[in-house]
Amino acid sequence: MTTTQETRWIGVSAPRREDAPLIRGRGRYIADIEPAGTVHMAILRSPYAHARINGIDTAAAEALDGVYCVLTAADLEGIGDFPTIWRLPGQKESNTPALAPGKARYVGEPVAAVVADSRYMAEDALDLLDVDYEILDHVVDVEAALADGAPVINEDLGDNTIIEYTFPGINALGVAGDIDGAFEEADEIVSGRFKVGRYSGVALETRGLVAEWDDLRQTLTLHSGSQVASLLRTELAAALGIPETSVRILTPNIGGAFGNQWDRYPEDILVSLASMKLGRPVKWIEDRREALQATVHGREQLQEWQLAASSDGTVLGLKGRVLSDQGAHLHSVGIGPAWVTGAAAVNQYKIANYHCDVVGVATNKTPNSTFRGFGGPEAMFGIERMMDKTARRLGIDPAELRRRNMIQADEFPYFSPGGAVYDSGNYPAALAKALEAVEYDKVREEQQSLREQGVYRGIGIASYIHVSGFGPSAILGILDYYTGGYEGSTVKIDPHGRATLYTGMIPMGQGTETTLAQVAADQLEIDIANVRVVWGDTDQTPYTGFGSAGSRSNVAAVAVIKAIEEIKAKAVRIGAGLLEADPDDVAYADGRISVKGAEEMRSLTLADVAQQAYWAHKLPEGEQPTLEATYVYDPANFTTACGTHVAVVDVDIDTGKIDWVKYVVVDDAGTIINPLLVEGQIQGALSNGLGGAMLEEFVYDEETGQLLSSTLMDYLVPSFTDLPDFEIHHLVTPSPHTEGGFKGMGEAGCFPAAPALANAVADALSHLGVEVDQTPVTPSRLWSLIDQAGG
Amino acid sequence: MAETMSVVLNVNGAGRSVSVEPRKTLADAIREDLGLTGTHLGCEHGVCGACTVLMDGEVVRSCLMLAVQAGGAEITTIEGIGAGDDLHPMQRAFSEYHGLQCGFCTPGMILAGIDVVSRNPDPSPQEIREEMGGNICRCTGYQKIVESVQAAAAIMSTEGGSA
Repeated sequence: MTTTQETRWIGVSAPRREDAPLIRGRGRYIADIEPAGTVHMAILRSPYAHARINGIDTAAAEALDGVYCVLTAADLEGIGDFPTIWRLPGQKESNTPALAPGKARYVGEPVAAVVADSRYMAEDALDLLDVDYEILDHVVDVEAALADGAPVINEDLGDNTIIEYTFPGINALGVAGDIDGAFEEADEIVSGRFKVGRYSGVALETRGLVAEWDDLRQTLTLHSGSQVASLLRTELAAALGIPETSVRILTPNIGGAFGNQWDRYPEDILVSLASMKLGRPVKWIEDRREALQATVHGREQLQEWQLAASSDGTVLGLKGRVLSDQGAHLHSVGIGPAWVTGAAAVNQYKIANYHCDVVGVATNKTPNSTFRGFGGPEAMFGIERMMDKTARRLGIDPAELRRRNMIQADEFPYFSPGGAVYDSGNYPAALAKALEAVEYDKVREEQQSLREQGVYRGIGIASYIHVSGFGPSAILGILDYYTGGYEGSTVKIDPHGRATLYTGMIPMGQGTETTLAQVAADQLEIDIANVRVVWGDTDQTPYTGFGSAGSRSNVAAVAVIKAIEEIKAKAVRIGAGLLEADPDDVAYADGRISVKGAEEMRSLTLADVAQQAYWAHKLPEGEQPTLEATYVYDPANFTTACGTHVAVVDVDIDTGKIDWVKYVVVDDAGTIINPLLVEGQIQGALSNGLGGAMLEEFVYDEETGQLLSSTLMDYLVPSFTDLPDFEIHHLVTPSPHTEGGFKGMGEAGCFPAAPALANAVADALSHLGVEVDQTPVTPSRLWSLIDQAGG
Repeated sequence: MAETMSVVLNVNGAGRSVSVEPRKTLADAIREDLGLTGTHLGCEHGVCGACTVLMDGEVVRSCLMLAVQAGGAEITTIEGIGAGDDLHPMQRAFSEYHGLQCGFCTPGMILAGIDVVSRNPDPSPQEIREEMGGNICRCTGYQKIVESVQAAAAIMSTEGGSA
């Protein structure tokens, strides 16, 4: 504990209340839920990238002992699908169907479902389904998908271009840049073409669902690992054509989500429908191959950037084109991540002149949608590689080039030509701190002498912004994002003075329950043991507008603070009556309600006042009994977390292997609620970021359209020996927009990881002129680059 | 209904006869027939280590074994580690050093950690990283798991404590 008081909990590494069951093997995940009478679903998935389905013979499967039903697209009449939430103007909509209707468009797309007594039997029955496929030409590359004569994935849309969206470089004040002028004026124009690899969250727990339809009460209970239960409830009711009041979503422990569980999925509809048909609980647990094929993928982009610079290193302008490989269907957020890439690409730099075209492209691949970072890491990869290329071209140190172009601490709020308003930060200070921590000058010196000994050491800097705390609902409306941006919190004080906090946030490993309990205990100035947090039940918890992503604690925490402000005000009013004092002379402090200046003599505990609030014998006139409040907080602005990472690596030029020397993080997420958990989030997000930078990739075979990496032996997630120890330092620039000064930080570690690594590798190989412009930088890919460069 | 076989599974010190299809994995039998759901399934092809149990003192992946192969062996699952509030040092260390986030890999990690320390009472961070390479965590980036195992090893060397 960093404080001597036991009533202030913000800034304290409070132990996680989540841990007690989890370390005993008594967590309760979806697979552990099995109501009486449960039957099991298995799903037949397309083995082809693109194939017409001319018919499905279900007779043999239906005849198998132990099989209850088979669902095909023909059974979905009258059943809807899930709309895209982010519907940018001009985006051609193609919702993800629950079962492929007449045509399968990617390997892994659901074609039929079987329900049987056990999962083993259901899989036996899948083998008996006879599908008449007519194989069609496929396309799994964005540029090929845009070429004349390419197979069209969704005929209804005409071609494979889903949207062409332009960022014209006009900031929120309406000030436009002059991109052509910037390029005319430039001393140097630097170009880059980047392939950001396709990878995803790949949570250790696969997705799963248990649906329980009660035909007498006409209610559906769905046990789900969704990060955004409120939205799932709204959309599922609409898709099934039943009242939303009939649907309850229960969330147990989640074994990792990483954004992938923000989306709605076909299986949500399939298990619900099967349970409604059979009147029995229906359970589906995704297997690992399904998880790799059918849980959304993320990231994949082909970016082309041009940067205009003057010879002194001033970046005059940036223009680019981003092709986003969306896969076969628009999933829950449309091309949202690629839009964020366009909005964030100017990063920490004062680049007045900006232009970016974002093109969403359909291919015969798994939908590309929500994944930790959501377009931000892709943006950082492009701009931070461009900064290093520019530095090399101009002969300026890459740290110095960044320093010369950074937005200064006194220039906030900063109106970016990408459209965002940055709230606060101190970018040069974060860079300086990172360079100091890594001993930049010393490492640069050593680099020279090591190279003479045949050791190829590289230093990679990457700075980042992370626009988090999405966002004021009115702005989401302007962006055609069809949810709100708020979080609600209900706090109830029981007659003994203890607090129960109801949140719509869904904990998925970050420690949200502990963090929110800290905020509540801190604001009420009571022992954290006296705060209970209730989550994971849409019948009890407030509607969450945006849905809980890792970066939402900042918004949810403010909702808690505001609800408690109302409770304290009411406690003061009731307490003043009991103390026979004017409410203006009474204050709430240290968990007590006291007459100011007479705290020793005229004072009540929160429990005293709560008891009176429930008895309601002596309440002030007009005061409602009990002591509770609900506050729905809609953020005033986005918050921008920021920082700089520095990676130091050695590259083995004979094998392409990368060895870690050091990795330094300086992050600024405003006021920190729990330092230990923040460290955990940074390290974990870094493992996601570096995984995609070095190892993880969904590889598609051009020839067959097959997903080649559909086991964990082919899709490589980082293991213990692949990652370094991270050295973490913080700056604290509280957000001026949020009560408490919090910023979202759960995703930030993903943002600079890939460019920091790529910049370090390119720096190590600068003598060969190797450019590292594609992720992941696998040993074989890197070896080929070294080989081509003659190394 | 496929034919079943009887097998006696000795788990956490208690023997129980179960009747299972020969194709049923040990992991599924532990979870479904014995109701011990602390053993998790992350990949069912032997890569992730979430289903790790100790069998006759060795770590095994219960997803890669059939239940009928486990007759006669002494099996320890996470439920057999620590008793009530008397937690194993490895469990305490994981909580204290934030060696877990979502908790899904944690039972396997704790058993693997106990196994490492039983063979090497004072492992270096590098040894822990190498020895535990068969268990995947997607949340933590591993650093705090390494710290947890090291801390537990230190406690175990003074307090004792084995599976």
